[in-house]
Amino acid sequence: MAVLGFAVPTGRASAGAPEKAARVGVELRGATKRFVSPSGEAFTALRDFTLTVEPGQFCAIVGPTGCGKSTTLGLVSGLEPASGGTVTVGGRPVDGVMPGTGFMFQADALMPWKTVVRNVMMGPLFHGATKREARDRARDWLRRVGLAGFEDHFPHQLSGGMRKRVSLAAALINEPAVLLMDEPFGALDVQTKAIMSNELLGLWEQSRPTVLFVTHDLEEAIALADKVVVVTASPGTVKASYDIDLPRPRGAVQEIRFGERFQEQHHLIWEALREEVERAYARTATRTESGEAA
Amino acid sequence: MSWSSITRAGRAADLPEPAAAGSPAAGDHIGSEAEIAAAEERRRRRRRLIVWGARVVTFVVVFGGWQLLTDAKIVDPFFWGKPSGIVSTIRDWVDHGTEFGSLWQQVWTTMKEALLGFVYGVIAGVVVGVLLGQSRLLSDVLSPYIKVVNAIPRIVVGTLFTVAFGIGTTSKVTLAAVLVFFGVFFNAYQGVREVDRNLIDNARVLGASRLEVTRHVVLPSAMTWIIASLHIAFGFAIIGAVVGEVLGAQHGLGLVIYTSMNTFRPDGVFAGMFIIAAIALVAEGLITALEKRILGWRPPAQSESAAA
Repeated sequence: MAVLGFAVPTGRASAGAPEKAARVGVELRGATKRFVSPSGEAFTALRDFTLTVEPGQFCAIVGPTGCGKSTTLGLVSGLEPASGGTVTVGGRPVDGVMPGTGFMFQADALMPWKTVVRNVMMGPLFHGATKREARDRARDWLRRVGLAGFEDHFPHQLSGGMRKRVSLAAALINEPAVLLMDEPFGALDVQTKAIMSNELLGLWEQSRPTVLFVTHDLEEAIALADKVVVVTASPGTVKASYDIDLPRPRGAVQEIRFGERFQEQHHLIWEALREEVERAYARTATRTESGEAA
Repeated sequence: MSWSSITRAGRAADLPEPAAAGSPAAGDHIGSEAEIAAAEERRRRRRRLIVWGARVVTFVVVFGGWQLLTDAKIVDPFFWGKPSGIVSTIRDWVDHGTEFGSLWQQVWTTMKEALLGFVYGVIAGVVVGVLLGQSRLLSDVLSPYIKVVNAIPRIVVGTLFTVAFGIGTTSKVTLAAVLVFFGVFFNAYQGVREVDRNLIDNARVLGASRLEVTRHVVLPSAMTWIIASLHIAFGFAIIGAVVGEVLGAQHGLGLVIYTSMNTFRPDGVFAGMFIIAAIALVAEGLITALEKRILGWRPPAQSESAAA
């Protein structure tokens, strides 16, 4: 059974067969984003950002802190309009929040007053599913992320890793064609992060949505992605893009990094990234110095 | 109210303790975790006893002292009344009614005014608070007016309502509602402003409409603030009703108190005061119960810090 595009609810509660969501590509062409701070100063977060992500591709975006890499996700999701350039998803220009997009935030975006299952139910409910239907699908997704039995817990009763699984289920339940992830595992400890990365890959391989994965962790980026994009220090623009030719399925994220090919690519990309990290660092350092002088 | 917060604090504090304190002690004697738990239970029971004992002592000292001092004419009972006089006044009201009808009628009148004012005020406060909290333009336009109206002494507003709506219930309900409104409004507004941006963005990406974002994210999130304001708001509602009755009424506890004052019967003033206090205490208990029901999702640690 083909689930067409992002028309989601099928009420089907099976897990085994991979879903075939319509594959959708993402394209940013010359995208620019300027913010105006409350004090009235304009600030360019992204400048002339051009990136093409093929349908079904897993693309990681790495860059120094504050380079505007998260802003790209804001533009693709439609939460923030671009100040210039074009952003298209599946060939259609992004104009407000579009159905078929999933977003996983760095911070927990779970509603603390709702139980786990009610949190996951929100996606289908907002798309017009009935309560019973939404609950069935939420239970199914919680089972898939290994949280069967925790449906009626509140988020604060779960560990950080478990909350991330709930977020993952909530982001995937609408079977998005495009999944945007903003340092989703950044707040986790190293071991939990590795486990979550493996689970993410497992789930991704089932339905293969197009993924934009923002991170500052280059190892994580290479281990997960088909393509790694290095963003320059602020204002962010694409510095270089690398295809990762490690075979899929990748297997355990903890082990893949010791492979020879992984090491080569890590070395290569780190050369490009290091310059930007140093530039970003130098800038904050001089800024504080001049701030102290003034 | 403090009852529940004590037991809750105790439970939250001793949860991690047995594991932490138990492991080093485990070598010394067996079953030390159970012992520690039992000791903790004893400690908690003792503490509860102390609290209640101290409460009773406070009561006896204040009222016994009052009675003794007025009996000995050190304090003039003509101006300050005395506990025995207050009790007999209340008994008289229960048995023979007040000069404006039965005591229950007075209580019910004041309660009705306070409750109606409370409900209208809360609804208006929440609606306006949520609207202004979500619309920057609206709040920028209206905020100076709200500040001005809020600065007007309520007694002035009360006289205005008494003139406009007469000495029936309407003027008291309106005054109570106005008092409640401001208490609730500022909290609802602030609560909406403090909503986590991430939660809103998340709901929007999941396909929520503006209304759904308000219903599923903004309102529940602001609920912590709104409920906190209800405790004070019910006090305001009673003040509104009683002040309204003092300004002019045919029934109600405010009228009873005012008449007692004018006829130099301080026992009557105190009797009315204590009846109002009892009502307020019951209402406070109900609101706390409501709070526990609606905000039951909160982790215990968070409600502790919110209470502090």
